[in-house]
Amino acid sequence: MNPLAKQIGLILLASAALAVAANLGHPRRIPWVQNWGRQMEAHAAKEKIEAVPLYRALDLLFAGNHLFIDARPAAEYLQGRIKGAVSLPFGSLAENLETLERLLETQRPLVVYCRNRECDDALMLALELRDMGKSNLVLYVDGFELWEQAAAPVEGRP
Amino acid sequence: MKTTRSPRDRTLYRISYWIAVYMVGLALAAGYSKILYPDQFALAVFRYHLLPYQLVNITALYITWLEAVCAVILLFIPRWRRAALWIVLALLAVLTVAVATGILHGTAFACGCFSLSPQARPMDWFTVLRNCGLITLCLMALVGGHRARKD
Repeated sequence: MNPLAKQIGLILLASAALAVAANLGHPRRIPWVQNWGRQMEAHAAKEKIEAVPLYRALDLLFAGNHLFIDARPAAEYLQGRIKGAVSLPFGSLAENLETLERLLETQRPLVVYCRNRECDDALMLALELRDMGKSNLVLYVDGFELWEQAAAPVEGRP
Repeated sequence: MKTTRSPRDRTLYRISYWIAVYMVGLALAAGYSKILYPDQFALAVFRYHLLPYQLVNITALYITWLEAVCAVILLFIPRWRRAALWIVLALLAVLTVAVATGILHGTAFACGCFSLSPQARPMDWFTVLRNCGLITLCLMALVGGHRARKD
């Protein structure tokens, strides 16, 4: 056997063994197989909703053209939100018809967000808005928790 | 019998050695955060949306350790350096194609190459250009090492 091919094979094998051993003993161990298809981002990709991380969401905020929409419950919104964000909780759309109407009429593109990557209210709201005829929708996937950790502009904090 | 190397041999060997050292530095820089935060790297791999979702975690773990093993070999085992460089070259080629595909699909996420921070710059054509540069360096190291041995 070609010595180079043998060496490459051994490196590939050693790496596999190390990956297994390291993951078994890792404090942040991850499952070997994870159903990423259940993730909100996978759902957004399937629905062709543009998903953006913190870096791009900050760009959009500073550019000033986009309007941020907070899909969390009103109580959470009142305790702190992305600077300039409008509250439209996905769980209580019926009580916020006036806001909803205003958002559907605005020409500004919307950035919808929720608490974190596990919270799918923002995606649900984006899909709802799209069904009502709103285009120019962006989903900020990292959520308010990471926004705050990154010391990005917030308002409403006591 | 002891053989003496010509100045040309030595230059070629030195060039390929320093390129290999540079590749080690890059591999270590890239592997460090991936080893510490496998969940974050798995997320970066998932965000390419190129793999079946069931293979994302296994691929992320494997790539992390493949990079680390190659870095150690490039640094400490000169006899195996060529094998490690071929693997790094293959990894870079796959990554470059994945990044280019991501850009064409309009992704707003970072490539997960050197930083796993959510504030990392999204991938762009500069990332592709940088990877092409690294591929060139890798090829130079391979050719340099091969010619030095041949001479």
